Parts: sequence; structure tokens; C-alpha cells
Amino acid sequence: MIYFDNAATSFPKPKAVIEAMEEYFFNMGGSTGRSGHKMAIKASELVFNTREHLARLFNIKDSARIVFTKNVTESLNFAINGFLEKGDQVITTSLEHNSVMRPLRYLGQTGKIKIFIVLANQEGIVEPSAFENILKKEKIKLVVVNHASNVTGAITPVRAIAKIAYKYGSRILVDAAQTAGAFPINVIADNIDMLAFTGHKSLLGPQGTGGLYISEGIKLKPLIRGGTGSSSEKEIQPDFMPDQFESGTLNVIGLAGLGAGVKYILDQGVTKIRTEEMELTKIFIKEAEKIEGVKLYGPRDVNIKVSVVSFNISGYTPSEVAYILDNNFNLACRPGLHCAPSAHKTIGTFPQGTIRFAFGYFNTIEEIKKGLKALSQISNKEWIN
Amino acid sequence: MPEEVVIIFTSTHDVIKAKSELEKASITYELIPTPKEISSECGMSLRIEKPVLNMALEIFRSNGVRYRNDLL
Repeated sequence: MIYFDNAATSFPKPKAVIEAMEEYFFNMGGSTGRSGHKMAIKASELVFNTREHLARLFNIKDSARIVFTKNVTESLNFAINGFLEKGDQVITTSLEHNSVMRPLRYLGQTGKIKIFIVLANQEGIVEPSAFENILKKEKIKLVVVNHASNVTGAITPVRAIAKIAYKYGSRILVDAAQTAGAFPINVIADNIDMLAFTGHKSLLGPQGTGGLYISEGIKLKPLIRGGTGSSSEKEIQPDFMPDQFESGTLNVIGLAGLGAGVKYILDQGVTKIRTEEMELTKIFIKEAEKIEGVKLYGPRDVNIKVSVVSFNISGYTPSEVAYILDNNFNLACRPGLHCAPSAHKTIGTFPQGTIRFAFGYFNTIEEIKKGLKALSQISNKEWIN
Repeated sequence: MPEEVVIIFTSTHDVIKAKSELEKASITYELIPTPKEISSECGMSLRIEKPVLNMALEIFRSNGVRYRNDLL
């Protein structure tokens, strides 16, 4: 099987990820922050190390500022619902995934907040000046942007936008679902106030893991309250990090895997991963453009995109192509709207959507070539056995 | 045997961080359940020898380990 669905979840995972999870399940087993026996301490150390690895990856000074969640959607909900109050105004973009759109739209519909949308161009690119035009006129509490589109792969100029937001006293929340582990992120240099990430995509961990970095000075209300293993004599939620946002037993086995995934990335180096994924994407785009009937969307320049490419083949619906790829070519990808209707409207592919190829660090040039050949055969109707 | 002191921390995260910083500095410690008579925020505490207390606290401060100063 050729796996080009890495934007949905990465596959395969490094062996070290599976080994770390096995090690926890077979030999450790305790819960973190509860009890003081050796097994519990080992579990606490494991979670601590995962936090430290992530802090290193994102240049976060104090790893206690990272809160673990079950995925990036939960992280974004924590940030959006915990930060915004009645009467607040928000800027977001037309490229957002529903993990940002739905919580924002809900607050908008219920009259709690006002939303301003920065429109991307047809290539799926947003201009920082468009944010400034709104910030100049309106009092904005929060800017919410995805770091790279899960539809076009286009990278948002986060550093430039954050600089403008900062100038006008606004805060920025970055959805790093498609970039964490695949593109360098430095919360200090990028001026990021809150960074939401998932563990199971380019961080190479298992599903059920994710996190939110909350910079100092950001006041967030917890959405979930309960046992933290700390301040147990009190019936009110602790106000210190990370316990304030981590009620209930953590997904320790998942975090064991995530820690090993991040360690693997640190050992390889994000730059190396980024370079290899850019190379694969570059080859794919260059050759796919030559296939008659194939229409690509989003930027062609790999310097401004991650390894996500959307396209259509004339004469087919996206799901027909994905079905043929799966059945006849053993190739996994994702067709449709990718939970991002607004992004598809922006690039003009709503409601039918696109076929999305998302390459990962473990894909090879050979696989890219096989994928290209399959597209060419489908386009020429040569796929029927 | 020198006198010993117990240091109480804000959260489990801080105890683990304190432990790892002490190990780096080769300071001997013992991880113990927080004594019952202390109103604790975290279930685990560290016991160290009094002569190295100031050195340990300096390490904690410079590395952002949050401990309960009021209980020392």
C-alpha cells in the first residue's frame, strides 16, 4: 500500500514510538501525578519528558506552559472558548478547518463574539496587510490562523501576522495541525501566544494525543475541571500550569508514544524532514502538472507550502479517483472537503472538493512515481483491468 | 547524620523537574510522600540534607521549579 494520507494521520510511525508504548504498557503502567509509588513516578517522568521534548521542538522556555489534550480540535476549543468573552472581536481566515470555524461560528451565532474573515486569494494565500486593515479600525482580541492549510498546503506567514497583531495589542492563536514536526516553529521568534498542535500527524505519535502551548500572560478559563492529583484538599480547581487544564487521568500510553515521536524528530532535525518532504512535493507537482486532465490547486512553489497537494482529474469526481486509487493501485489518499468547506470555497472547489495527496517523511520517490503513473492512467482511462 | 529538610512543590511537574535538576547537580535526595500534617498541593515531596538546601533552592529558582517557599 502507498500511503499518501499523512495530513489525516501519519503512517507509518517510527519503531521507537511503538516500543515506547509497549514499554509503558508492559513495564510501567502507573498513573501520573496520582500516588507516589515507583510505577507512578515513572509515569510522571515519562509525561514530563514528553513535555520537555515538545518544549525543545517549539523553543518553549517552560514546558509547564504546555497542556496535553486529546487532539488539536480539543486544544483549539480550549483556547477559543477559554479566552474569548462576550463582546470580543476576532479575526480569522477563509482557509480555516472546521476545528476553528465551528467553535468560532458557534460563539458568533450565539451573539457572544464578532468575527472578521480575511479572504485568501484563489491560490489559498493570505496577505498580512489584510489583517492590518482590520486591526487598524477594530479592537480585536484574538487572531486565529492555521499555520498551513490542510487543503492547499499553503503556509500562512504567521511571524508577519503575529507582529502586526502584537502592534495593535491583539493576541494570536496558531493552529499547527499541519506544521508541528514538519516545519520549524519557534514560539518566541514567531511571537505566538497560543499554539495548538496534534500528536498523530507530523509529530509521529499515536491518535488521542495533542496539546496547547499557552504563553505567560494569557488568561484562559479551563473548560474541564476535576481531579489533578494536586491541591487535593481543595474543592476548587488549581490555578497553576499545567494542572489547571489537565483534569482527569492523562493518556499516558499515548504520551509515551508522542514523546518518542518528538524525540525522533529532534534527532532527525525538522530542517532535514522539511527538506525531504519539499523534495517529494516538488517532484510530484512538477510531473503532475504535465498530466493532461489533472488540475492542481494551491501554490506550486514548495517554499511556501507543506507536503499537501490538492487536485482534480477531469471527468471524475474526487471520490471516484480515490476509490480507483485504493482499489486498483493500492494507494491511500483523501477526497472531498477535508473538513474545510470555507477553504474549498476560497479555491473554487466547493462542494465537490478535491483529491488530496499528503506526503510524509517515510514516503519515497519511487512511491511518488507510482502515484503519478496511476494518475496518468486514470486520466487516460487506462486503469480498467 | 546531618539534619534533613522536606521541600514541597506546586505540582507533579515541578517535583519531577526538581528531581532531574538535582540529579544533574549530583545532589542526593529522597522522593517521599508529602507528610500528612502539611497541607499539600502535590502528593510527592523531596527530602534533602540541610547543608545543600540553599544550593538546591538556587538551582530550582534558576530553572523555574515552583516550590513552596512558605513551608520551608
